[in-house]
Amino acid sequence: MKRDEPGNLDLLAAEYVIGTLTGGARRAFEQRMRRDSFALRRVQGWEERLVPLTLALPTVTPSPEVWLAIAKRIGAGTGPSRWRAIAAALTAVAVLGIGWLVFEELRPREPQAVATLAIEEGAPLWRVELAAKGDHLEIEAVGAVSYPTDRSRELWALPTGGAPVSLGLLPKSGRIRVALDDRQRAALALSTQVAVSDEPQGGSPTGAPTGAVLGVAPLT
Amino acid sequence: MSMCVRNTRFEADWMQAGLCQRHPPTSPLRILGMMVSDTGRSADSEVAGLIARCARRDQAAFQRLYESTSPHVLACLLRILRQRALAEDALQEVYVQVWNRAGQYQPERGSAWAWLVSIARYRAIDLRRSEARRPAETGVDLDQLTAPFTATEPELGFGEQAARALERCIGALQPRQRECIVLAYQGGLSHAEVAAEVAEPLGSVKSWIRRGLAALKRCLES
Repeated sequence: MKRDEPGNLDLLAAEYVIGTLTGGARRAFEQRMRRDSFALRRVQGWEERLVPLTLALPTVTPSPEVWLAIAKRIGAGTGPSRWRAIAAALTAVAVLGIGWLVFEELRPREPQAVATLAIEEGAPLWRVELAAKGDHLEIEAVGAVSYPTDRSRELWALPTGGAPVSLGLLPKSGRIRVALDDRQRAALALSTQVAVSDEPQGGSPTGAPTGAVLGVAPLT
Repeated sequence: MSMCVRNTRFEADWMQAGLCQRHPPTSPLRILGMMVSDTGRSADSEVAGLIARCARRDQAAFQRLYESTSPHVLACLLRILRQRALAEDALQEVYVQVWNRAGQYQPERGSAWAWLVSIARYRAIDLRRSEARRPAETGVDLDQLTAPFTATEPELGFGEQAARALERCIGALQPRQRECIVLAYQGGLSHAEVAAEVAEPLGSVKSWIRRGLAALKRCLES
């Protein structure tokens, strides 16, 4: 075969494309295509001419597993658009959920109960609020609080039929938050009044008021 | 032509592939007739557009490409490999390659269908021959085979017109030439396998194919 005749090259290309060029001759022609764009072009010409013969074959629908395997290998979801939509929906739900929790936590709510403490018949010194959830107190010094530095002012719940229960020290100024334990919460639930007493610095050493009761206020 | 009944070994294969029952022995002309009237196939420009989007890593486009083209590609693979499991494994490999090499497709160099079908056909022919004579030989380097061209040539048209031209020119071949060429191309058969299929001497088959291809080219270029 005279290899360099254009007709021969075209015939080789055609036999390569239909597949009848086999074995060593097929490999040799592949080698040639790699360096000879003219030969490659002849091959593509035949691919183009004959492709209608492939498309004439009755179609065969692949099993669904084939697409699943392909999608996995290229890093796509099983149905890219559908899974993306599901992921977006789940994200939205999570964001809304977290947002709601944060909002619930932060939104100001009416306190369960409030007491305004004064000493004897003086001006109000502390405003005490039992938070809506009942888990803490908000205490604010609202007046000019003054007492000796070696003393403290202590807040007490006065449960009906029980001993006073300490609710912690009152601030000299500003606003503090006092977390309540179960015992304090139970005492407050039974209290209609709170009291302030004079105590050594750091508060009563006994757990019961040791100094004078300076004031009592209704908890409403 | 009766691919299904002439050879009992192939008959079993075709039955396994589910082709004989659904599609009784068909002449190349009837096959082409079916093709020309087939309007369900995606237009080449549409396939080319999807391949371009695949090159930009658009997975939704890739899924659409797969959905619209894989029944044709599987038909091609099944005709060559003859076993459904083998053909579906090859289908998976073909589309992973299509995804990875979508950027190499250049519409001005040829049709999208020819690009896609060529990837599938060379893979199937290679698989078929490595199965036939283990240990397997080195595979065809498909990247090389479909590398961009440097020569500038008239653009190749594709579509109804090309299909009709092929139908006319295949129809103009001598019956033996036509039968052997279609058998070889669609089935990925070697000269010897075609000779066994048509029960004719190897030398005659080689000659029919060579002369048939030359006549086909003359006809298509006229």
